[in-house]
Order: sequence, then C-alpha cells, then structure tokens
Amino acid sequence: MTRNAFLWISVAILAVYFTVALLAPFIAPYGATEITGSPFQPPDSGHLFGTNDVGQDIFSQLVYGSRVTLIFGFCSALLSVSISTCAGIVLGYYGGNLDEVVCRILDILMPIPIFPLLIVLTTFFNPGIVQVSILMGVLGSIHGIRLIRAPALSLAETPFIEGARSIGATDLRIMSRHILPNLMPVVTAKFVSSSQHYLVMGVGLSFIGLWDTMTVDWGSMIQNAYSSGALSLGLWWWILPPGIAVVGISLALALAGYSLEESFNPRLEVNRI
Amino acid sequence: MIDGHYLLRRIGYSGAAFVICVTLTFFILHLMPGDYITNYLLSISNYLPQEAVDQFYQQYGLDRPLWEQYVIYVCNILQGHWGYSYQYGLPVFPMIMQKLTWSLVILLPAVLLGIAIGIVLGAWSGWKSGGKKDLALFNFMIVFRAIPEFWWAIMAVWVFAFSLQWFPLGGFTSISVLSSGLNPWDVLYHAILPICLLTSFIVAGNYYVMRNSMIAVIGEDYITTARAKGLDERAVLWRHALKNALLPMVTMTTFQVAGIIMGSVFIETVFSWPGIGLLTTDALRMRDLPILEGIFLLDALMTIGAMLAADILASHLDPRIRMGDQ
Repeated sequence: MTRNAFLWISVAILAVYFTVALLAPFIAPYGATEITGSPFQPPDSGHLFGTNDVGQDIFSQLVYGSRVTLIFGFCSALLSVSISTCAGIVLGYYGGNLDEVVCRILDILMPIPIFPLLIVLTTFFNPGIVQVSILMGVLGSIHGIRLIRAPALSLAETPFIEGARSIGATDLRIMSRHILPNLMPVVTAKFVSSSQHYLVMGVGLSFIGLWDTMTVDWGSMIQNAYSSGALSLGLWWWILPPGIAVVGISLALALAGYSLEESFNPRLEVNRI
Repeated sequence: MIDGHYLLRRIGYSGAAFVICVTLTFFILHLMPGDYITNYLLSISNYLPQEAVDQFYQQYGLDRPLWEQYVIYVCNILQGHWGYSYQYGLPVFPMIMQKLTWSLVILLPAVLLGIAIGIVLGAWSGWKSGGKKDLALFNFMIVFRAIPEFWWAIMAVWVFAFSLQWFPLGGFTSISVLSSGLNPWDVLYHAILPICLLTSFIVAGNYYVMRNSMIAVIGEDYITTARAKGLDERAVLWRHALKNALLPMVTMTTFQVAGIIMGSVFIETVFSWPGIGLLTTDALRMRDLPILEGIFLLDALMTIGAMLAADILASHLDPRIRMGDQ
C-alpha cells in the first residue's frame, strides 16, 4: 500500500470523527450526563456500549465527548500554527533588527518547560476548554516560529520575490500571495502533527484528573473507568470505547502527518527504493 | 575551545529564562482561584474558627500584598529556602527529593536503557533504510508512538497484571512491607512493568531521531569517500557514519535527562507509583502552593541547565555550530 493510500484512509477516518462531533445531538440517543439505565449494564440494543457506574449511556458520552477532545486538539493546533506562520513569515521577510530582537526573545523563552505550566493553567481556567486551548496554542507557537522562519528567510532572497517587488507588489501581498503558498507544505505538516500532539495531551491531562470532572470527554471517561476498577471487574465496555476512540483518531492523524511529511520532504523519499 | 563571548551570552539567556519562569509560576499559582483553606480544609469540616484561618494566613505570609510575597519568595529561593508545605508543614525541598527518588527508581533505568536501545535500533534502521526490515520497524514505531502512553499502560496492566497475573496491579510494594520492612526485590517486582513501558516510549522517540540522522549522514560525501577508499562497510558504519549521526542525539539525551521530573506523570498515575507526578497532581488539588513552586523550580532549573549544557556540548563537539553562531 502506498503512502498516498494511507493519507486518504486517515482523511476518511478524520471525516467520520468530525461528522460525529458535529452531529452529536442527532447521533447520541441520550444526553451525556443523563441517567438512562441501571448501572453496569452490558451492551445491548438499548445501550449500544452499555452503561457506566451510575447508569449513563456510554455511547452517548462517547459521542458528546468527541466534541471536547476535538475542540481542544484542533483549536490549539490551529491557533499555534497560525501564530507561528504569521510571525515566522514576517520575521523571515523583514529580517534585520526586528528579526534579531525577536530571535533573542525566543532564545530566552525556548527553555521554559511548558508541561508544568500547562498543568497549572488547566487547573486555573477550569472548566473553560476554549481558554485552555487558546493558551496552549499561544504557548506552543514559540517552538513553531523558528520552523517557519528558516524557509521564509531563504524564500525572501529568491529572484521571484525580488521580481514581485520590482513590479510594485506591496509587502502584504508578497507575504500572503508569494511566500505563504510556498510554505504551505511545511505549515500543513506542522498543523497535522501539532493537532495529534495537542489532542493526545488534552486527553492525557483530563486522564490524570486535571479537568473539571463534570465535563464529559474521553480522558475523564477512561480515568473514571480505570480508577473505579473497570478492568478488574471485567467491565470492558466501560473502558474500551473511549480508549479505542482516542487511539483511532491519534493513529489517523499520525499516519496523515507522516505521509504528508514524506511527500513534502524529498530527502526522506530518496531512501525509499 | 569555546568562545568566551558565546558562553557568557548563553549563560545570560539561561538566567533570564529562569527569572521569567520563576515569576510566571509564582503569579499564576498565587492568582489561581481557591486556596488551601477553601479547597481542602472546608471540604473535611464545615466549620473553621476564623482565628485558625487568620493564623494560617499569617503563618505562611499570605496576608501580605502579593508583590511583597513575591519579593520574600525570590529572596528565600536565592538563599536556598524553598518554603514549607501547607498540608504537611514540612520543608518542601526534602519532600520533593524523597518523591524524586521514587520516580528515579523507574526513570533512571528507563532513560538509560531507552537511549541505548533507541540509538542501536535507529542506527541499524537508518543504515538499512529502504529495506523491508527497516520499513517494518519504522511503521511499527509510528503506530507505537501514535497511541497515548497512558493507554499502553492501561492495556499492559490489563494483559500482564490482570489477565496473566505476572505482575502486581500497581503500587510500589506488597502489603507485607508492614511486617517485614521494605524489600528491594519486592520493589523491583513492582517496578518492572512501569520501567518496561517507559523504556519503550523513550526508545520510540530516540529511534526516530537517530534513524533520520543516520539517513542524512549516509547521503553525505564523506561516506561516499570512505567507501571509495575501499573501507569495508563495518568500518564505514562504526567510524564514519555512527559518530556523526550521534550528534543530534546529544541534544536529545540532555532533554530527556531534563524532562525526567515530569516524564513519568502518566505512568505514575496508572500504576499509582508514589513519585513526583503523583505529588504534583495531589498538591494541585489541595492548592499546596509551596510544593508546586518547588517542583516547577526544580523542573525549570533542570530544563534550563540541560539546554545550556546541550548547547555547550554541541558546539564543543561540532565546530560547524560554533561557526554558524557568530
């Protein structure tokens, strides 16, 4: 199977996840926190994936939980990549003193450990998932700026940019119409890998119990099931669905990321005989 | 060897990063909604005498304005006083060190093994790049890395501890510790599963970097030259390719040593291992600010120190980096 096929398979899987998240109220038979059956009911026709310790429908929780998880993963990735792209292009294009100063600031900010900060901020803004993802995006963009700046810097020196300038194109036009499209491969690959990274991190944070316990998302579902001993009680339908959901989307994003990276980076391709 | 100017500038940056980090964590933590009294004490008893609350605030200096607290905090840190925990009333530093020791029991072997195995696998895979075995290993690693750590851990507990009953379900020692004292073999028995898991995560990360670096090195002209000289493949691999491919691993390895404090949070949660990860989440829930500040301070010190060490080491090992940074 070729890399291209992998890419299309992952896009299809992602499309399914997005549809489920968008149409959650139409797909889920019950509300996420609604008590609709007796506790620990195994899967049957009424409850597709059974019920949990208080009798909530696991399938409905799974469907509604996808919203929280996807919002966190994709919003932070989108924000972080947009900031890195804009800043990287501006720095690379103008260069000079601005570039010098910002790079020095980045040098200072780079070694600050993000993960502990993230843990505290998550508690801080509980249960505002949108706020946390905005912060995550801003914090995470620091590492992306350099990634975009380097190719933007070398692009700014090329003859076709000079040509565009000589026919009187404005700086904004050059940056948006000439530099950005040439950077799209890097930006797309970065976006896909960041969304996987943030998504898994979001689920992880909620798994270690840092998010609001009232918010139903995949991480808190796994945490709830694991700490209540779903494994030792043999209640597989309680813990497996959220786990498989996370694994599925994470795998799809990872495969898409690697396929994109490989098709944009000829150096990796050469060694593939 | 190393340019004094460059070194000074690096140290200056690290100092600035440290100041920013300390300031940021202090203010974020102190502005956090809820404190130890409202979050914890009120949850175990409905009524607290006002005098007790006042005394608590006064004892920990929480009645002063925030900027004054900040100045006192910074002065204390510079003198090596890391404060006292709200929950236990004990000095923070020895507490963190004690938990860190427990984390290191699983982290140290995992990091060492992970680096060694990762380098060997990555180098081998990169050397054979394009081959069937390389592709199989590479795809396996992509899939392995894509699945979250805690999910691997849960599955490992299910298969090895619950179904096969080869290992205990969690914790760091058997209940027999109460009668017979702490037994190193018992601790090891509890640590094997977490160590194996952590090792494989570190291997997967290192493998990817090492393989890419090896592939890049193989394309270089000096490898062609070495082959053209008629050196046998083993000599090319060991003396020419591997040495150069190891360069990015220097940075990677220093990062892993730096990330050691928070590196095992997920694994510790799954296995209820009494390490620094558990201490962090616990302190966060109780709003035990001095412990949190201590942990973050230690983490910042280690990360920033390791970055500095990585920079100096890399420029020492690779003259090209030195030249490029004028």
